Amino acid sequence: MSGVPGILFTKTLRDLRRRLAQFAAIAVTVLVGVLLFVSSYEAYRNLATSYDRTYDRLHFADLTATGGAPEQTAAAARGTDGVTTVTTRTQQDLPLRIGADKLLGRVTGMPVGSQPAVNRVDVIRGRGLSASAPDGVLVEKHAADTFGLAPGDRLRAFDGTRWHTLIVRGVAVSPEYLWPARNRQEVLADPHSFAVVFAPERTARTLAGSDAAPQTLVRLSEEARDSGGAGAVAARLRAAGAFDVVERADQASNATLREDLKGFEQLALGFPVLFLAAAAIAAYVLITRMVLAERKVIATFLAAGAPRGAVVRHYLGHGLVAGTAGAVLGVVLGLFATSAVSHAYTDALGIPDTVVERRPLVMVVGLVFGLVVGVAGGLAPALSASRTAPAEAMRGDGGTLKPPGPWSRAVARARGLPVVGRLALRELTRSRRRTLATMTGTVLALVLVLASTGMITSMRSLMNTHFGEVQRQDATVTASPRAPDLTAKLRDLPRVAAVERVTTVPVTASAGEHSYATSLSGYRPDTRMHGFRTDGGGTRELPAAGVLAGKALAEKLEVRVGDTLRIHTPAGPPRSVRLAGLVDEPIGTALYGTRDTVEALTGAPAQIYQLVVDDGTGTAGRDEVRSAVSRIDGVVAYADSQALRHQVDTYLSLFWIFVGVMLVFGGVLALTVISVTMTVNVAERASELATLRAAGVSLRRIAGMLATENLTATVLAVPLGLLVGAAAAFESLRAFNSDMFSLELDLGWPTLLAAALAMPAASLLSQIPAVRMVRNLDVAKVVRERSQ
Amino acid sequence: MTQTGAPRGGLRLRGVTKTYGTGEAALTALRDVDLDVEPGEMVVVLGPSGSGKTTLLNVIGGIETADRGEIRVAGEELTGRPPRELVGFRRDRIGFVFQFFNLVPTLTARENVEALVELTGRGDRRRVPELLEAVGLGDRMHHFPAQLSGGQQQRVSIARALATDPDLLLADEPTGALDQATGRQVLQLLQETNRRGRGVLMVTHNASVAAIAHRVVTMRDGGIHSMEHNAAPADAVSVGW
Repeated sequence: MSGVPGILFTKTLRDLRRRLAQFAAIAVTVLVGVLLFVSSYEAYRNLATSYDRTYDRLHFADLTATGGAPEQTAAAARGTDGVTTVTTRTQQDLPLRIGADKLLGRVTGMPVGSQPAVNRVDVIRGRGLSASAPDGVLVEKHAADTFGLAPGDRLRAFDGTRWHTLIVRGVAVSPEYLWPARNRQEVLADPHSFAVVFAPERTARTLAGSDAAPQTLVRLSEEARDSGGAGAVAARLRAAGAFDVVERADQASNATLREDLKGFEQLALGFPVLFLAAAAIAAYVLITRMVLAERKVIATFLAAGAPRGAVVRHYLGHGLVAGTAGAVLGVVLGLFATSAVSHAYTDALGIPDTVVERRPLVMVVGLVFGLVVGVAGGLAPALSASRTAPAEAMRGDGGTLKPPGPWSRAVARARGLPVVGRLALRELTRSRRRTLATMTGTVLALVLVLASTGMITSMRSLMNTHFGEVQRQDATVTASPRAPDLTAKLRDLPRVAAVERVTTVPVTASAGEHSYATSLSGYRPDTRMHGFRTDGGGTRELPAAGVLAGKALAEKLEVRVGDTLRIHTPAGPPRSVRLAGLVDEPIGTALYGTRDTVEALTGAPAQIYQLVVDDGTGTAGRDEVRSAVSRIDGVVAYADSQALRHQVDTYLSLFWIFVGVMLVFGGVLALTVISVTMTVNVAERASELATLRAAGVSLRRIAGMLATENLTATVLAVPLGLLVGAAAAFESLRAFNSDMFSLELDLGWPTLLAAALAMPAASLLSQIPAVRMVRNLDVAKVVRERSQ
Repeated sequence: MTQTGAPRGGLRLRGVTKTYGTGEAALTALRDVDLDVEPGEMVVVLGPSGSGKTTLLNVIGGIETADRGEIRVAGEELTGRPPRELVGFRRDRIGFVFQFFNLVPTLTARENVEALVELTGRGDRRRVPELLEAVGLGDRMHHFPAQLSGGQQQRVSIARALATDPDLLLADEPTGALDQATGRQVLQLLQETNRRGRGVLMVTHNASVAAIAHRVVTMRDGGIHSMEHNAAPADAVSVGW
């Protein structure tokens, strides 16, 4: 071959123009895949970089240790290699009163007049803390947004004996609360049930009282961070008396955002692969068809001494041109979309820094994806073309008729079926590649649809399980330690169906080298407020002695049933308790026992009341209950458990838009593959279809025949697609499972049914271009072409 | 025989045998064929269907290999040569013309010829218009196959076969898909090519065509049944069927 691509490249371009619709469909599918990849992968990386930029700028702590004497823990940290900065502070969860809301908030101490050396904040509205204003505080941004707080507003904090008035000086963004989570057990919480207030250290100490456990914040050098130096520092902090040490990776906000990133990464890689696979299949079908149509020409060239490599390169070129064209456009559009998607994400999450970078490697990978599609789709037919026997050039069009296979013979015996139906069914095995391509397109589309829908339906199922079977209370009321038993008062309120007194204590459980900060809750042995799910989906009772632990917690501590746990509380010495059993919890992972067990372990009184409202109580009724409860003396916080459910439901409803988009993409994907195979089908059989048309067979009959064939292939693929789609959905959910979430796949029959019906619908739609092709068949022209 | 170029494209076959399939399904397409063709000779191979004509052409052209026997074409020994070397042999020595023209429908007449030059790296693209002029398509070289008649398409395929300047032109039923008048034009072209010194071996089932050959070989059951020399080949213009 001369190496000059002139004539053959001209042929390639004309071939593309001749089959413009099909090649355009392939290029568009590549475009969507590459666009999705570039924009979402760049955005994913940008989001990670944005977090890191914010963390660096605000000196986010690498370790947060609670407990011990602050001087000792700080000194222990300072003496460790890789530690650059150490500070101490006071932090305590306290009842807050904001407007009419009573909630369990958090007060965190900060230096006045300057930023802390670790865990700085961005004051985005108002002013910073001042020594001259001891009651002036900064409110964390999410709380300010939820409660509509602005500089000058007032709120109150309960110190265990009385309410203190605090004045909002400013609104702040904190690296600790980019995702507003109290702890890893409550990463999804009613925003009205949590607020963070940054107060002058002295004020925080006053409010927290003597029970407050001081915190030591440690920042590491980059080298120490990268080389896993946090473990050694954590060990020193524990040895110095800290009972809980949380590394940055486990910090609630950061861990939640990283989980989100994990999902994002999966989306950035998984979905584009589906589109690119579909494009490769469509390219394969189309180029195979071209090779079949040009077999005699190829044979002629080969007979004349053309090297096989030149033939391979030529047909491979078709796939490469289509793939590259789609990829180039995808990369260009992806670069624009990257900025928009990155900003959309950081804005939605309230990340103060948005880093938009465009990485040449990602662009190159995007282009390579296009090339891979071209090679994957074009290589097999190109090799097949090069293996054409030159002697084929001498044969006429008649060729050799293959004997019918078992399927054709079986269909032939089905005399009850109309001939058109039998013909359509026989076509399924006439071109197995085409049938397989249609089926693969269907399977890929179902994978796309089910993997995206499964995320939402499973999340909804998780919420149903959590709020229906596990956390059965409608509201949680926190009472002042000095308040008398409020059970009777609460039970007497209208719409309140049941009340139970509960003990809930923040604790750190440890076993061997492992520790985990969580909550320990004590219930009545016959509690109605909490369900204890076993692994198999059943329920169990609270043990008379010992505690139950969430499965994820047991995994974290590497303990089994029967082992002994150490329970650390802010007040009092650590105690040991036997692990009596495990429970399966969808959100968070905690410890449970009877009230007697918990009170014996922690010495904490039962300050919490959980209540259930009458069935059918609506939002207005629930608000009335909230108001009535908040008016009771001694009540310091009220959290509506169901509000979170509504919040998440609203949040998930937005995700249905995402599912809708994925459904459209899935449809486009199925349409691309099926319509390409369909038009190839018509092109391959042009002479026989033209003959049928010439013989007076109506377009409707021919369309019916094509539709029967296509629908049969699609319907045959649906069960497999549902299975593979469910497996893909299961795998993608597994990536999200952690101690914070335990997602189980729940697609539900409506989803499966809708997905199963969508595929034949897409298949029917793809008939349109095929039927148009049949309508436009020029019998004379077809005959002329066949004679060449 | 009036020749305007040095004669070329002779061949010598000895004991050439070719069998398809094995066991009971074995079919011997060529059976101990001996054949000598002088350079610059025009040979017509006749015979009924299944007599081995096309197989003979394939073996001579290096498209297929013989199971046994010696083959020497245009001065090159083909016996035992691997397929890769046969590609080079075909490129350098042989031109093919088929019954079905096998043109690329998306390329013009000129581009169809140029494509072969480009693919094989042999021949000169600048000579392509001249070749098309020579086959009488000077005014149609920018037409696509669908815009050409069957005879014109066959002429394009002859121009394509000549583009690599082969020693021997192998034509398999070149007039099989054409009417008499158009077929005659194609025969004229082949004859003209031969008169320029190039060997031509044409397979046909049309006995009338034999009149234009120097030698007529008749095949039957895979062997050469008869061979006749024609001292005064007729002009293709006079051939009719």
